[in-house]
Amino acid sequence: MESMVKNAAGRVDTRRAILSRWLDPDETTLAVLLLAPAAILLGVMIVYPVGRLIYTSFLDLSLTSGLPARFAGLANYQQMLDDPVFWQATWNTILITLITVPGALLVGLGLALLANLPFQMRWPVRLSLLIPWALPLAFAGLIFAWFFHSEYGVVNDVLGRIGLPGVIWFNSPRLAFAAICLAIIWKASSFMAMIILAGLQTIPRSLYEAADVDGAGRVRQFFEITLPLLKPTIVVALIFRTITSLQTFDIPYMMTGGGPGTSTATLAMYIHQNTVSFLDLGYGSALAVVMFGLSMCVTALYLRMIRGSERAS
Amino acid sequence: MSSGCVSRMAGLLLGFGAFAFATDASAETTLKMFVTSQGQPGIWRKVLDQYEARNPGVKVAIELGGATSDLQAQYLNTVLTAKDSSLDVLMLDVIRPAQFAAAGWTSPIASANMSSYLRAYAEANTVDGKVVALPAFADSMFLYYRKDLLDKYGLKPPATWDELATAAKKIADGEQNPGLQGLSFQGKAIEGAVCTFLVPYWSQGKAVVKDGKLDFDREAATKSLALWKSFADSGVAKKNIAEVATDDTRKEFQAGNVVFAVNWAYAWAMTQGADSAVVGKVGVARLPAVTGGEQATCLGGWEWGVSAFSKNQEEAKKLVEFLSSPEVSKFMAINGSLLPSYPNLYKDADVTKAVPWFADAQPIVETAKPRPVTPRYNEVSEAIRTTVNAVLAGVTTPADGAAQIEARLKRILR
Amino acid sequence: MNASVSSGVGSLLSGKPLRAIAALILVVNGLFPALWILLTSFKTEAELTMKPITWLPHAATLRNYSQAFSDQPLLTFLYNSFMVALLSTALTLLVSVLAAYALARLNLRFRGLIMSVIIAVSTFPLVTLLVPLFETMRALNLLNTWTALILPYTVLSLPVCTLVLTSFFEAIPRDLENAAMIDGCTRFGALFKVVVPLSAPGVFTAGILAFVNSWDEFLLALSFNSNPGLRTLPVGIQLYQGEFAFPWPIISAALVVGIVPVAILIVIFQERVVSGLTAGGLKG
Repeated sequence: MESMVKNAAGRVDTRRAILSRWLDPDETTLAVLLLAPAAILLGVMIVYPVGRLIYTSFLDLSLTSGLPARFAGLANYQQMLDDPVFWQATWNTILITLITVPGALLVGLGLALLANLPFQMRWPVRLSLLIPWALPLAFAGLIFAWFFHSEYGVVNDVLGRIGLPGVIWFNSPRLAFAAICLAIIWKASSFMAMIILAGLQTIPRSLYEAADVDGAGRVRQFFEITLPLLKPTIVVALIFRTITSLQTFDIPYMMTGGGPGTSTATLAMYIHQNTVSFLDLGYGSALAVVMFGLSMCVTALYLRMIRGSERAS
Repeated sequence: MSSGCVSRMAGLLLGFGAFAFATDASAETTLKMFVTSQGQPGIWRKVLDQYEARNPGVKVAIELGGATSDLQAQYLNTVLTAKDSSLDVLMLDVIRPAQFAAAGWTSPIASANMSSYLRAYAEANTVDGKVVALPAFADSMFLYYRKDLLDKYGLKPPATWDELATAAKKIADGEQNPGLQGLSFQGKAIEGAVCTFLVPYWSQGKAVVKDGKLDFDREAATKSLALWKSFADSGVAKKNIAEVATDDTRKEFQAGNVVFAVNWAYAWAMTQGADSAVVGKVGVARLPAVTGGEQATCLGGWEWGVSAFSKNQEEAKKLVEFLSSPEVSKFMAINGSLLPSYPNLYKDADVTKAVPWFADAQPIVETAKPRPVTPRYNEVSEAIRTTVNAVLAGVTTPADGAAQIEARLKRILR
Repeated sequence: MNASVSSGVGSLLSGKPLRAIAALILVVNGLFPALWILLTSFKTEAELTMKPITWLPHAATLRNYSQAFSDQPLLTFLYNSFMVALLSTALTLLVSVLAAYALARLNLRFRGLIMSVIIAVSTFPLVTLLVPLFETMRALNLLNTWTALILPYTVLSLPVCTLVLTSFFEAIPRDLENAAMIDGCTRFGALFKVVVPLSAPGVFTAGILAFVNSWDEFLLALSFNSNPGLRTLPVGIQLYQGEFAFPWPIISAALVVGIVPVAILIVIFQERVVSGLTAGGLKG
């Protein structure tokens, strides 16, 4: 298609002039044309539903009440203030983010450094690095729930084999939370490692050779060459990781269902519960709006960081 | 190369239109019936074939829902919140008709006469004096026990939970098998844990909801939670009982590792199957009572509702009445081993021949009680099951747990 | 000293035994759960309730595989998952290439704002959009079609793909493009003949991201396609469980069947996945 246009345009100048008005529009028109498909898709699939969601968050709309929707102002938001489960879920979500984002980064960095060694066969290493990423989240959650099962789980079995007493992971809020975080880190570090590995391979070898000449040790080389050069890569990976972990749902849903009690519930689980199970669409929407606000704050923070580092470089 | 890519992508885009399925525009009415994929759709199909043969001009298509009650609810809630008209008849877990009716998702069935069904189903399917769904098949919680072990130690099926604990200890002392559990029940935060809580609570003569209002007895609730916790603490049940879901109970009982098990009817056929270590060694009885109380058990089963958004209201109601008839109930008992929702069918000669254990099941199913019938049942369930789980995990004391349930139920059932 | 080692800590571990340890750590960490599922798929259900638990199957059986195929149309699930993921990847790439080009090359007044909006929309939890999206799909008459999944999946991956591609496009010298345009290419021609081929690794990376996003998704697939012939793998696998029963051996067999094609793809394309990320540096 493109080549036909090009040939025709090359041969006949006048036709080219007409065509070029269509195919070489000025910058603004071009920008509109290029961004239109994305804008239309986002508009239909996100902006409209989000708009409805924000509107619903101001309604008293619970399908189990048998009453029609009623404008309720900020009532749903007020309800949140003295809803202990909301605070717990929000706190858990933040805690999961604070633990698993650096956790996945560190584990990912470690895995990437190991994977960057000169192995003769690279594919088994790469496969190991990528499989956790390709395993659907819901199943990762199920598998880890099984691993941490006190009787039939492989974790307690291994502990037993090395002479340590097994524990009932899901009987304790702390241990259950730890198990969830481990599962999330396992799943998330895969993608992190891949991105960092890619970053490692862009670093010119000459830099390290020069550092060797200068007599810099390996550890210093890591902190003075490797890490600074990886920074832009890591920042982008962190943004997406943070946003994803604020939305943590599948893994705790499958592993603990929020238990024991509600001690490991996350905000996304609570939204899901209020919307899909309790059918309290007003309250569920308000919770979602709050979560969106939380994500936006984090995004804004990171964007500022990126712009800061761009200006610096 | 790139232009090739572009035209291929364009081709794909144009191809999108072709993926849309054309809706067929035939003259006859086609009803769509939502059935759980675990509800023996193949056998229901035979029932529908008969119906189609008797009602020319009506075709019924089965739409299979997800495997579990929760997955189906997730799907139906989405579809019906959006007021979608694609489904006509819905198979619903017994805990849902009240919620669906309050949301305006099902149409009342005016002509129905509920007196011939098991009494509990009349209660579960009636909201504000209106019949909102008709029973598909019955279920309840049973006490499964190891007949061989009870006989060996000269014990009878226990009538109270204390008797059960004593019997379990006697067998444990005699067998000297550390892998043998006295009692298995559901302590995980699943729907089954709601029944776990309710059974001893009801046994003390208390109700959760009376005349649509909360009627909670905190003392009875504390006693119920403390009873279950005591089983875990005294070693009658496993220490990790808070991890046990319905099917864990079934698997462990089937493997021969459990003396007494609280479970639904589905477990029976599996304990008598090829993979079972306890074929012929299993008995069923009513669940025990708390000392001084009456025996009570939890009602299960599934119902048929008519979607309020269906464009074929009359045809759909006619179909539901047929599906809930004694004729179909008997057919499904014989061919699908589903417990009938009519009491007289339990003594039917054809039924007892096909599924002899139904004779034992009748007195149990007949005395089963429905879980609270309220539109906000999902919230009630959540409040109870998470607390049961927390108490059994040792995170909350029975007294605190009962107070938490009361506080949450007060907010839900104002 | 080993000249082929490119990172400081890496070269601390350049000895052969250390490399073996590193390989072991990587393989155990990455493959253990998958291996466990593989082993489980050969066990019987009774073996799973044994105490202490068994690692290797006592009496290995292939029955779970035959049952996985006979109980549910597993190949149909695979086919649907694959096609939906492939088509949504194609659409994502097309749309995000265009958008990324605009963001990378044109002097847009609101570039920062547009970028922020694109990131922002990706932060909305999908769970909450279920009902409005369902209504949209019904209004477009798309329920029970592949398109009902392809469109939202495209939107799901659009932000990250656009960002990745933007950074790749920015790395390509404008001169190359200008030269193509002097040769008579239009701007679109230059985009698809110069910019896209030169950023092939980036396009590939974005494609992989989009593919896996679609491959993973469960909630929308459950809600929008109720026709059994249109179900995707994550939804299909849930169908093996019963109202109460969760038959791990059969589900494991189905999972293995689902993981193997992805593993093969990874082995074939692993060099390109990593080098794709490398070439663009995935810079912000």
